[in-house]
Amino acid sequence: MIHMSCLRSKCKGKFTIACNFYVLCFPPASSPGYIAARLRGTTRSVKMLRTYEGIRFFSDKQMVILDIGSAYTKFGYAGEPTPRGIIRTEIKCPDSKELRKIYNYKDTEDLYQLLIEFLHALFFKHVVISPKDARIVILESLLVPTQFRDTLAKVLFRHFEIGSLMLLSTHLATISTLGVNSALVLDVGYKEATLIPIYEGEPILKAWQALPLGGQIVHEYLMKSLREIYPNVNITEKLVEDIKVRTCFVTTLERSAKLETADAPKPPPAVKYPGVKSINIPGEIREKAFEVLWERDNDNLSIPTMILNAIIQCPIDTRRTLAENILLIGGTAMTKGFASRLKSELLTLVKSSHYSEKLKIQTFMFHTAPSKPNYTAWLGGAIFGSVDLPLRCLTKENYLKSDRVPDWVSLIDNQRDESTVCET
Amino acid sequence: MNSFINRRTNVKIAVGALVCEESILKGDITIGPNTIVHPKASIIAEAGPIIIGEGNIIEEMATIVNRLPVDAPEPTTIPVQIIGSYNVFETDCTCEAFKVGDCNILESKAYVGREVELTNGCIIGASCSLTESDTIPEDTIIYGSECQRREMHGKPYPPISQIEFLLKILPTYHHIRKPNIVPTKNEGGL
Amino acid sequence: MSYLNQPDYVCYVCNCGSLKPISKIYFCRHCSKIRCGYCVCQEVDSHYCPNCMENLPSSEVRLKKNKCSNCFKCPCCFQTLSTRAGHVPLRVAPADAEDSKDVKTTPKKVYYLSCSLCRWTSRDAGIPDQSMATGGWPEQENPHTYRINTLIDYHKILASIEKQQSEKKKFRPKHPYMQIAMFRITSAMVRKHIGHPTKPTTESTDQPSPAVASTEVEELPTDIFTEPVEVTKITTLEQRLQQPDIQTENVNELRPQHRQLLVRRSQRCRVCEHNLCKPDFCSQSAKFKIQLAAFYHVPEVRIVTCEPLRPGKSSELLLKFCNPTQHQTQVVLLPLDTPMTPILTIVDEKEEVKQDNAQQESESPNLLPSIVRQVPVVEETKPIRIIANADVVFPQNCLILPRRDDAAEYDDTGDTHNFQDDPKFVIWRKGNKAVIKLHVTPHENIEENNNRPVVIGFVMQYRYVNTITTLEHKAPQKLDLKVKLYLTIGNIVGSA
Repeated sequence: MIHMSCLRSKCKGKFTIACNFYVLCFPPASSPGYIAARLRGTTRSVKMLRTYEGIRFFSDKQMVILDIGSAYTKFGYAGEPTPRGIIRTEIKCPDSKELRKIYNYKDTEDLYQLLIEFLHALFFKHVVISPKDARIVILESLLVPTQFRDTLAKVLFRHFEIGSLMLLSTHLATISTLGVNSALVLDVGYKEATLIPIYEGEPILKAWQALPLGGQIVHEYLMKSLREIYPNVNITEKLVEDIKVRTCFVTTLERSAKLETADAPKPPPAVKYPGVKSINIPGEIREKAFEVLWERDNDNLSIPTMILNAIIQCPIDTRRTLAENILLIGGTAMTKGFASRLKSELLTLVKSSHYSEKLKIQTFMFHTAPSKPNYTAWLGGAIFGSVDLPLRCLTKENYLKSDRVPDWVSLIDNQRDESTVCET
Repeated sequence: MNSFINRRTNVKIAVGALVCEESILKGDITIGPNTIVHPKASIIAEAGPIIIGEGNIIEEMATIVNRLPVDAPEPTTIPVQIIGSYNVFETDCTCEAFKVGDCNILESKAYVGREVELTNGCIIGASCSLTESDTIPEDTIIYGSECQRREMHGKPYPPISQIEFLLKILPTYHHIRKPNIVPTKNEGGL
Repeated sequence: MSYLNQPDYVCYVCNCGSLKPISKIYFCRHCSKIRCGYCVCQEVDSHYCPNCMENLPSSEVRLKKNKCSNCFKCPCCFQTLSTRAGHVPLRVAPADAEDSKDVKTTPKKVYYLSCSLCRWTSRDAGIPDQSMATGGWPEQENPHTYRINTLIDYHKILASIEKQQSEKKKFRPKHPYMQIAMFRITSAMVRKHIGHPTKPTTESTDQPSPAVASTEVEELPTDIFTEPVEVTKITTLEQRLQQPDIQTENVNELRPQHRQLLVRRSQRCRVCEHNLCKPDFCSQSAKFKIQLAAFYHVPEVRIVTCEPLRPGKSSELLLKFCNPTQHQTQVVLLPLDTPMTPILTIVDEKEEVKQDNAQQESESPNLLPSIVRQVPVVEETKPIRIIANADVVFPQNCLILPRRDDAAEYDDTGDTHNFQDDPKFVIWRKGNKAVIKLHVTPHENIEENNNRPVVIGFVMQYRYVNTITTLEHKAPQKLDLKVKLYLTIGNIVGSA
């Protein structure tokens, strides 16, 4: 069990895991007296900060916030309520002249070149800032492959010569959009769904859950079923994505239980999708497209079981708080009917024989962030990046000296000794 | 050959219509008043007669053709292609549609196939081609390389000021075919 | 120029390892090296709107969020919107006693936005027509701005607390008894020791209310199972993402966004920090303030013809060389494995020293002194993947190309240069151009049905006169610079 705590006088004895780069500890929000006690020593600085509240200074260089997802990249500046734009994470490869997704890379060399092209377009066409000496915050999942992370840092520091880089964990950054300290953050994106519970500002890493259930699987199902009906039409992924967004939805639990049986309810009306060749999308496909996210696979895992398994693995006194603070982020979680289906599945599963012994929770409560779920993580990064924390950034000099990115996995960054915590 | 195909060019031009001499007219064609046919426009009535309403503008290189598809069976009746009023056929568009309503606009290089039926107020964007059997609902706009569709609020304005301008200017630069006998009321009604 | 349309037959090898045609590389006069778009430092030079060509200074750009204030983008098809005028008869309200036939209707001009591709108009979205041609269009507000601003302020406070803590930690004395022995005991310290609050504690009103979770979630509307869906009325994902904060589903609620500004980039050499290419400030002119393209400094090589190639047999290849500089140059062709160090020849009466290892000398004095200059960032060179599969017979003599003379085309007296050329080597000359003949033998083991073209490679050494007067050298230096080239000369025709 590896606890993570921040720079505080009370956490002398524990391991400190990459304090400077991942964990932000909030003082517990529940006791205002505690905050008053802390503020005692710092009233003067708080007062000074107060006088600047009304004026929003534009510091020399704004921090650029990037959230490079598998399907879409959200980019913008710190301190703004919305990203400047959301674009696809794909770029025209210079050698083969075809549009390629960044995450479909063959090896490190290929990823290096693709990232250079993509970041070049991002810097000069969309974000519009000179990359030299820029300060960048990148939001990434804690489970991102090391190869991707290291190559990204190498491209940014060696090719573009940025000033400093801060790598933020997606799940942790999102709770700064809520103003609470504990939440169970479920990110349902394109490639996979990941879940990490956060309690009192610290991620409970041992309860992580990840499943390859996301937009990609839904696209594959749709492509397969549409190709059976229309073998002559060229069905591309872009077309399927459009069909999914405009016509498909997540059906209710009662209907889905009856779908496969003989007593199937009447499907919703078919939709005519016009185009060069118009396609008729039958109602069954509209309803069943997202069922693959809810089917239990061989290990009895699906999206609702992720939440329950995670709660079981957390310490007992945290369980109620976590179950009452669930936050859904990610593009696939925005589908019509997703949240209500998730809630009904959770309530049914909790009563089933598998979980009724281990889990005594009966209520689940959901948060809504002040943003649309597909850029909530970006917003968390923007709020976090608007404050100036030079200690937590990886500067260019330090990277070039050490030639590596601090990682929560490696033991070099997880030293027991307090004195090595502050320096990188 | 097929005896149903009318080879004789029989063009009935109403008073007020402006048909340039250099336009290509073949077959049995009726053109309503205030319609303007630019030079090098082609109206080809192969499989049957074409009846064009009033106030239409048929620009250069536009093709309105009434022909049967190559492998179609012999029709029992002569197919008549009916075009409504105040349509605009821009340069180099092709209209093989069987029935066209009023106030439609076919932009440049648009292609409308035989099976398509255009109702009123449709705008077929530049270079879009409609080949499948379909009835385009009213006030639809088709645009883009993938023929995306959109609904429009209200109808497009009939190009009355353009018709007036052309009626004044075209005769000064081109030879005009003289109007024939005015068609009687029952022929003009659709 | 044909370089835009054709594939790259003649590629120069840049110092970073990329293969580029001569139209895409730069020549740094200070380092005397070739640079390409991959290894230079690109910077944003100026911002401009592609529609109205308005140049904006960078401070204004940040305020306007990189968007042009006058031009709009169609929310449907993302083309630029144009402003159209419509006439709306404006009725002047009559007084009560007047007759209705005295009412005058004055036509007033109203403006609305319209798209020429998809014919979207601002009237479709319900935006009222404006009476002014420019500006006045309503802007949309993000509903969550206030909440987010309070969160940001709260985080700033937390960050300042953290900074204070870390600073305290730095100065924390190691031994506790030292604290008492310190000379300066402030009242704040004493108070803290006792445990009294130092100043009246301010209420933490700046802490925003935490978000409230609820058991209610957005339910699926039941009419989705029965109502037919009109796909044309639902927005596509791309249309939704134009406005990330609202992401509406109905086409009627789409609002036009401001057009994004484009940038002009300037390129700078990473090693010596000099500008290689700087465009003009005015967005409408295509000229450059500084343009150090290799096209104007490095001799250009073009393939004229090549005899049909057969493996193992020698074929003739004609290459055209062109000297773009204002000085006469000597071109020597060397095999691929010659070392690439430039040779410096200083033509000065006092110093007639020829130095072989001129690496240190040819480095220019950098713009910034070395103390200020940051640690140079070194990027690995890209490996060269292309392999030459034909041999070239390298001629012994060098080719002299006269300087470029712009007036020569109007001068009918003909070439006054009398070069003693080997007629088997130099076939044709005109002004600063010459065509030479080379013999190429493709390797024996190339198969005919293998679609890989025949590639030859060689090193071209040319004499370059550096006209920059540096601090150390008063006279212009003459350097023999080398550049590697790879030429794709054709496919194998027939077998040996």
